[in-house]
Amino acid sequence: MIKLSRITKHFGRQQVLRGIDLTARQGEVVAILGPSGSGKTTLLRCINYLERPSDGEVEIGGFKVDCKHPSKKEIQTLRRKSAMVFQHYNLFKHKTALENVMEGLVVVRKLPKDEARERSAKVLEKVGLGAKLDAYPSQLSGGQQQRVGIARALALEPEVILFDEPTSALDPELVGEVLEVIRRIAKEGITMIVVTHEMGFAREVANHVIFMDEGRIVEEGDPKEIFARPKEERTRQFLKRITPEASYSI
Amino acid sequence: MKLDPSFIWTAFVKLLSAVPTTLFITFVSVLGGLILGTAIALCRIYRVPVLGPISTGYVAFIRGTPMITHLFLVYFGLPAVVDGLSASLGWSFRSVSIPYIAFALVAFTITASAYMSEVVRSGLLAVNRGQLEAAHSIGMTTPQALRRIVFPQAFAAALPNLSNSFIGMLHGSTLAFTVSVVEINAKAQIVASTNWKFFEAYLAAAVIFWGLTVLIERLAGALEKRINVYNRGGVA
Amino acid sequence: MPGAKFDLAYVFDYFPKLLSTLNVTLTIVGLSIVLGLGVGFLVALPRLYKVPVLKRVSEVYVSFFRGTPILIQLFLIYYGLPEILKLANVDVTRTPVLVFVVLTYSLHAGAFMSEMIRAGVAAVDRGQVEAAYSVGMTGPQAFVRIVLPQALAISLPVFANLVIATLKDTSLAFSLGVMEMTGKAQTLITVGQHFVEAYLVLAIIYFVISFALERLFRLLERRLLRHEKTENADRKRFGRRGSPSLRGLLAESASLPKGGSGL
Repeated sequence: MIKLSRITKHFGRQQVLRGIDLTARQGEVVAILGPSGSGKTTLLRCINYLERPSDGEVEIGGFKVDCKHPSKKEIQTLRRKSAMVFQHYNLFKHKTALENVMEGLVVVRKLPKDEARERSAKVLEKVGLGAKLDAYPSQLSGGQQQRVGIARALALEPEVILFDEPTSALDPELVGEVLEVIRRIAKEGITMIVVTHEMGFAREVANHVIFMDEGRIVEEGDPKEIFARPKEERTRQFLKRITPEASYSI
Repeated sequence: MKLDPSFIWTAFVKLLSAVPTTLFITFVSVLGGLILGTAIALCRIYRVPVLGPISTGYVAFIRGTPMITHLFLVYFGLPAVVDGLSASLGWSFRSVSIPYIAFALVAFTITASAYMSEVVRSGLLAVNRGQLEAAHSIGMTTPQALRRIVFPQAFAAALPNLSNSFIGMLHGSTLAFTVSVVEINAKAQIVASTNWKFFEAYLAAAVIFWGLTVLIERLAGALEKRINVYNRGGVA
Repeated sequence: MPGAKFDLAYVFDYFPKLLSTLNVTLTIVGLSIVLGLGVGFLVALPRLYKVPVLKRVSEVYVSFFRGTPILIQLFLIYYGLPEILKLANVDVTRTPVLVFVVLTYSLHAGAFMSEMIRAGVAAVDRGQVEAAYSVGMTGPQAFVRIVLPQALAISLPVFANLVIATLKDTSLAFSLGVMEMTGKAQTLITVGQHFVEAYLVLAIIYFVISFALERLFRLLERRLLRHEKTENADRKRFGRRGSPSLRGLLAESASLPKGGSGL
């Protein structure tokens, strides 16, 4: 289970997150929506401490960290319990697809190389890249790179996978293959928190949707509920802008 | 022998008299190198038959050998060439009357020309080919396009390298002491050995060179900022 | 000053004689590069990690060693270090000159190395470190396993230039009386007055070594950057395409001495 309590974040004088509470139960898929600048990516990056929250509490799988005075070790533990899929893939450029997936297993999890290789190959197979094990990132399409990114996260068997707009850097025709992979692993009961602009995907895959604006959670709940009958004006406006068809379904 | 801090100042003042010589050598060799280097770069860019490959070999050889070997080869080789020429043409000019500094200038110009040709080449390389096409598209001739569009941009791109090479030549001018030219380094040697205060004298020389280098860097930086206004990007 | 008449026989005679001191030259280069790399790291770290005071010290160090001629540095350390050490009651009058020479070249190269390391590290995308953190790596693990290998590959051309620049700079060690190749050439000419022959041979030897080093590094670079294979291939295709244009004609080579005065 993932639990965030009262997370705040300042950049200088600007307050980006104004006290966020969020819970994702085991196997749940939480989608975070909102206009750009609403703080959703910052919130996601606070979970694994790529951004340092100013205050609040992060809990992953029973391990609780007070954001005011985290030790290096605590940050390390949070990162070991989570994994992230980046908007720009961020594959290790000097390593092949297989090595990218193996890296965390060998260096962080201390798995023997053979075992790590076997496991990595299996995961890459699962995301449909069994034939690309020895390709370098520069030899892969954006969609393939992002699938390697997902495999890298998946192989670590984390408590939660954090997705930071995983398809927004992709060419339109490549979005489908990546969403398909995420959809499939969502069905396997892996806990996921997904920042996304893909409304259709959020509606179909998420168990819980959070709508953020100006550093606050404006509205949250069951996706069918929120997409069909948004209670807040701001949510309504956002949905209207992003998905014109949403206005018809009301 | 004791450290004498006050002598650093004494030496510093004495060395100032040699600064013009150092600057003269540097400026002449950079300027000569730039002219020769541009010609070399163009020979390579336009793949001029014979001259192109010769230029490539010349640049590789000069860049692959220490500057001091250029100086020594000129110093010891040039007189024979000059005397030979004079004799066959019946001139009365003899190599003995060539001043020492001329050898340094010739040798350092040769050195600089190889480095400058690379500066010019990579500057031109940095200009997007679309710029030339755009210039042609509004009806400019190639010389017009080169002069008005390509060269200004190339100069902006080449400026950091140019300043680096300039500093390189400034530092390299210290070698002139080997052919009895009294620039800063040679002067430091003289001041040092007549007063038996080596450390202090060289420290003063180092300070002068350091100051000159920082000055060149600052000037290049300021110039770069000015001509790169268009390059800033963004919306502001 | 005009020496003896040019005689090709001397060229062949001088080759083996000069080559016999090649090991001294290469020893200076090798030691200076290795030590310089160490110095470079030490100097680069405070600036990479923005350590208050030390960062400033690093900056001044780099500025000084890049801002003064190597020849002046040689004299400065050769004459200055013993005097400074004397203040601390250390006597180095019996220390071989070679030690001072290697020390100077190491400190000099170190300044350029630190700039090279800084630029290399800065060139590595921030997302690479974040990805390393996201899989649970510690700071040092991320630096050593992810940032460093990429930074090294990026820095290799500059490193190659530095090695070659150091090789050429060693030709100045003779001014302190070290018997490396250039020093040897000077003793040869006092015997035979065949100046041009001696310096021609000297230049050729330097050139061959520089050339070989350059080739070697280019091979290494190709190996280290093999993960960018396709990108490079694409770029080349673009360069050769179409009629000879400025950019197309220029595209293939043109790598500048990005570090080291190297004259």
